[in-house]
Amino acid sequence: MKLTRLGAALAAGALTVGVIAAAQAATNETIVTVVKVTGINWFNRMDDGVKQFAKDNPNINAYQTGPGRADAAQQLKIIEDLIAKKVTAIAVVPYDPPTLEPALKKAMDRGIKVVTHEADNAKNTMVDIEAFDNTAYGAGLNERLASCMHDDGKWAVLVGSLGSRSQVQWADGGIGNAKAKYPKMNLVEPKLETNNDGERAYEVAKEVLRKHPDLKGFQGSSSLDVIGIGRAVEEAGMQGKICVYGTGLPTEAGKFLESGAINGIAFWDPKLAGIAMNKVAQMLVDGKTVENGADLGIPGYTKVTVAKGPGKGIIVRGQGWVNVDKSNYKQYPF
Amino acid sequence: MKSAFTAGKLFGDRQLNFLLIVNVLVVLVATWLSRGQFVDIDNLQSMGGQLPELGLLALGIMLSMVSGNGGIDLSGVGLANLSGMVAALVVPRFVNGDDSPALYTSLFCVIVVTMGLLGGLLNGVVIARLRLTPILCTLGTQLLFTGFAVVLSNGASVHVDYVDPLSNIGNGTVFQVPIAFCIFIAAVIVLGWLLKRSPFGLRLYLMGTNPKAAFYAGIPRARMLITTYAMCGVLASLAGLISVTHTSSAKWDYGNSYLLIAILIAVMGGVNPAGGHGRIICVFFAATVLQFLSSLFNLMGVSQFFGDCAWGFLLLLSLAFAGGERVRAIFGFGGGAGASNAASPASSTPKS
Repeated sequence: MKLTRLGAALAAGALTVGVIAAAQAATNETIVTVVKVTGINWFNRMDDGVKQFAKDNPNINAYQTGPGRADAAQQLKIIEDLIAKKVTAIAVVPYDPPTLEPALKKAMDRGIKVVTHEADNAKNTMVDIEAFDNTAYGAGLNERLASCMHDDGKWAVLVGSLGSRSQVQWADGGIGNAKAKYPKMNLVEPKLETNNDGERAYEVAKEVLRKHPDLKGFQGSSSLDVIGIGRAVEEAGMQGKICVYGTGLPTEAGKFLESGAINGIAFWDPKLAGIAMNKVAQMLVDGKTVENGADLGIPGYTKVTVAKGPGKGIIVRGQGWVNVDKSNYKQYPF
Repeated sequence: MKSAFTAGKLFGDRQLNFLLIVNVLVVLVATWLSRGQFVDIDNLQSMGGQLPELGLLALGIMLSMVSGNGGIDLSGVGLANLSGMVAALVVPRFVNGDDSPALYTSLFCVIVVTMGLLGGLLNGVVIARLRLTPILCTLGTQLLFTGFAVVLSNGASVHVDYVDPLSNIGNGTVFQVPIAFCIFIAAVIVLGWLLKRSPFGLRLYLMGTNPKAAFYAGIPRARMLITTYAMCGVLASLAGLISVTHTSSAKWDYGNSYLLIAILIAVMGGVNPAGGHGRIICVFFAATVLQFLSSLFNLMGVSQFFGDCAWGFLLLLSLAFAGGERVRAIFGFGGGAGASNAASPASSTPKS
C-alpha cells in the first residue's frame, strides 16, 4: 500500500512539472540564460531582463536558470544538461570562465550558439558581451568626481584587489582622465588595496583621512570600497566636504547616499545585460553578427564597439553604465 | 548462510527495493515528460559524465561512515581539488604533453592518486593514532587541503594543457559509455567485492557495529581505520582526476556544494551514520536517482531550488520507507518497539 501511495505522490509531482513543461515546449527556438547563482538580487534583476525579452519575442522560448549554490561544478552540470537538451542558444555568465571552456566548446561543436557575459578571457564563445569599456567607465566616474571637486585638490583611489583586472582598469581609467584633463587635481594615494572587504576599506579610508586632512575626493573600485569610505567620512563628519564616487550597489550604498557621505555611484544594470545577451543570441541564431557601431536597441548598447576576443569569438562592449546619486538610486532595487 | 542468490534474498532489502522503484519511476516519468529526450543517447552520456564525481565522493563518505565511531570524511572535495591541482602544476614541468601524451597522462594519474592516498593516510593516522574524532580531524584537513590549493594557485583556476588521452578521461567515451562512468563502475565493483567478500569488509562492518566486540575479537583498529581513510582519499582523488580532466582546469572551490550532497546520497543509500551498515549497490542507486532528477529538472527548465526541495522530500520518503529502525539509527530516537539489531549496540554501549 505504501508503494501505491508513493507512486501517487510521485505521479502528482511529475504532473505539475509536466504542465509547466508542456507550456514551455510550444516553441522550438530556445535561448537559455545561465547565471552564476540564482536567488540573489543581481541575478533576479537579470531575470527581469530575460523575462522582458521573452515577452517581446513570443516566438522564442527564453528563460533563465542557474545553480542554487555558488559553485562552478553546479553551473557546469546545468550547461551539460542544456547541451543534451539541444537548446538553440546558451547565454552564460560564467562563475569561473576556464572551468566552462570544454563544455562550451562541446556546445558550439554541436551547433549551439554561445554568448557569454563578464568573461572577456573566455576562448570558447561566439560573442562575449561587456557592459562597457573598463577604461571609459573609470574615466566616467572620474569626470563626476572632478566636477564635484571643482577640478582642484587632493584625491585618492582605492581598489578592491590589485589582482582584479577590471578594477585596476577602472582605477587607471580614472587616474589617466584626471592626469590628462585636470592638472590641478593632485593624486596623493594611487590604488590603495582594500582586499574586497568593507571593513578594510573603512580602515584604509580612515588612515588616508588622517594622513591628508585636506583631502577633497575619493574614487572607489570594488563595490565595497564606497561603503567603507562612506563610513569613514560619516564618522569624521565630513559629508559634503569630501566627494566620494565609485562602483556600488544601490541597496548597499543607499544609506550613505541619503546621508551625503557618498555623492554618487555607478554600476551596470544586469537587466539590460540580460536583454543584450538574449538579443545577440537571437541575432546569432538568425545568422547575423554584431558589427562595430551597431545599435542593439537597448539603452547603453546603442553604439557598441566590437573587438577580437582571446579565442575565435568577438567581444562586444556597450556604454552601459548607470550613474546614480541620491535622487534616483531608489529606481534600482538590487 | 551461504545460500545462492534467491529471489527472496535479492528483494529482501527494503532500502534497495525503494531505490529501485524510485529510479524506475523517475526514468519512466522523465521519459514521458521529455517525449523520449531523456533516454536520448546524448542525455544518457551527459548524465553518465556528470554522475561519477559525486558518486565517488559519496562512496568515500559511505566507507568512512561504515567504519563507525562517528566516522565521516569531510575532506573529500578539498582533497579532490588539491590532488588535481598539484598534478596540473607539477606534470608540465617534467613532461611535454605534445611530445609524449601517454607518459603525460599516466604521470598525471599517478600523481593525482598518490596525492589522494597521502591525504587519506594523513586522515587515517590522525584519527587512528591521535584518536581525534573523525568529524573534527577531517574538518581540519578539509581546511588544510583547501588552503594549500588556494596558496598554490593564488585563488585562480589552474589551466590543464589539452592532451588527448588525459582529456578523454573526463570527456571521452568507449562504446558510447563515458570513460568517467566506467571508472565509477569499476570503483563500485571493486569496493562491493571488498566489502562483501573480503576479510577486510567483514572486519569493517564488525568494527562499525560494535567497536568493543571488534576489539576483543582481535581486529586491529588502527590499521583498519588507516586503510579505510586511505581508501576514502583515493576515491576523492579519482573524483578530482575526473573533474580536472572534465573541465581542463583545477580550482580550489570547484564542487564546494558537493560535500553535503555526497552525504545525502550516502544516507539515502541506507548507510547508517552510526556505522556498521550500508550497501554499495544502494549508494549507487541513490546517486543515480539524484542525477536523474537533477537532469530532468534541467531538461524541463524547472528551478534548481525545486530540485533541492525534491531531494529533501525523497530523503524523508526513504527514511519513512525504511522504517523506525533507521530513523532511530540516525536520530537516536523514534521507531517502533519491533525494531532490532543494527545500530543499537553502538549507541547502547556504556561509556566507561
